[in-house]
Amino acid sequence: MNPAEVALYPFERPSTLAALCRTLSARAGRKEKTVLLAGGTDWIVERSLVPPEESGDLPLVLDVSRLPEMRGIHVVKERAEIGAAATFLEIRRDPVLSRRAPVLTAMAREVGAIQIQARGTLGGNLATASPAADGAAALMALDADVVLASAHGERRVPMTRFFTGYRATRRAEDEAIVRVEFALPRAGAHQAWRKVGTRAAQAISKVALAAVIELDGGRGVRAGFGMASVAPVTVSLPTVRALGLAASLSSVSDDELDAATRRDIAPIDDLRSTAAYRAHVASALVKNFFQELRTSAAP
Amino acid sequence: MTITFVVNRRSRTLDVPPLARLLDVLRGPLGLTGTKEGCGEGECGSCTVLLDGVPVNACLVVAGQCDGRTVLTVEGLGTENGLSGLQDAFVNEGGAQCGICTPGILMAAHALLAANPRPDESEIRESIAGNVCRCTGYQRIVESIRNAAKGQASREPG
Repeated sequence: MNPAEVALYPFERPSTLAALCRTLSARAGRKEKTVLLAGGTDWIVERSLVPPEESGDLPLVLDVSRLPEMRGIHVVKERAEIGAAATFLEIRRDPVLSRRAPVLTAMAREVGAIQIQARGTLGGNLATASPAADGAAALMALDADVVLASAHGERRVPMTRFFTGYRATRRAEDEAIVRVEFALPRAGAHQAWRKVGTRAAQAISKVALAAVIELDGGRGVRAGFGMASVAPVTVSLPTVRALGLAASLSSVSDDELDAATRRDIAPIDDLRSTAAYRAHVASALVKNFFQELRTSAAP
Repeated sequence: MTITFVVNRRSRTLDVPPLARLLDVLRGPLGLTGTKEGCGEGECGSCTVLLDGVPVNACLVVAGQCDGRTVLTVEGLGTENGLSGLQDAFVNEGGAQCGICTPGILMAAHALLAANPRPDESEIRESIAGNVCRCTGYQRIVESIRNAAKGQASREPG
């Protein structure tokens, strides 16, 4: 579709979450398509790739970018709550997140240049469900919950279960992603964001790793990982995570880390990179992170 | 749909298709052709304008989301009497070559200097990381922004 065709989609701006949920519910019941639009950094770009739709079948576009219930970043009792429509720039500039969840700050700074940071959102990142979603990888490492709202109320889905396949999620047609929540890692937790792409800004990852570990006497007591662009969905590296929670991190060998990483990913060749390069980089990023941990834990 | 927003310090009310691109609204009904279209998919930054003071790609912002907001384009940088200090610095330093990317880079740099009057080189480079220039090799652009920052500092009351 060209921009002139896209311009004519029906568009509404619900003023409350309740109104949004009512519209979603009514339209899902009639099997009518609805699009929730926040920053548009994916959806608008993708319009040029889809064929023109029958004019009677145009989806209704609902603007959620200013919906109060989806805005803001709050910390309540050591738990962070980030509105689905909070932008990456707002996340990047949040002082509590930069102190307690620097993995998220670093991700937001590299997800794209400032023009993309100013528009893109975690809610959009999750709903679009690209396997290269940097935001999803960081949220997996933080063991976040996705909070979904509908006319029937709220429910939460752990990030590790949110994606069901390539560009598919557990969000139902009548649900909206309203926020994500996670327990803040304790001060001093090890957090890392490593993005490997063609250049530092404005590049989609070839491989990205998010990692969070809390150590207690050389042993991991909280561990979370997220890796982008190495499988049909962003993955949480469960085998690597189990090694992160091993009784003694110093006993975890590079061979074990290599084998665990290989087991947890399923990279492919595509226009951005090759399966072999991705597998190599994925292993290297995991080993590097554990090496940093062992160095810092050494007496 | 009818939208009312402030463009270059002037309130404008327009009837536009809700999902028209801000880029097309600026260049069409508002006649502000200083904002250029490059890639049209949020990669090149040529269409950068400030939305509530923050750089955005006008090709990825829809008109319906601009109701009640404030937009600044390259036409709003200077005054009727002359260019802004930043624009002067680009002229003096040779920061523009073919010129298609220049309005977008000016807007990104304007936002940087408004928030951070004394940026270091890495901050300058990061601020224009979303703006692609295929002529200059960036060095003259970085120098222009650095000189604009110096000029801005020297004009501040001591």
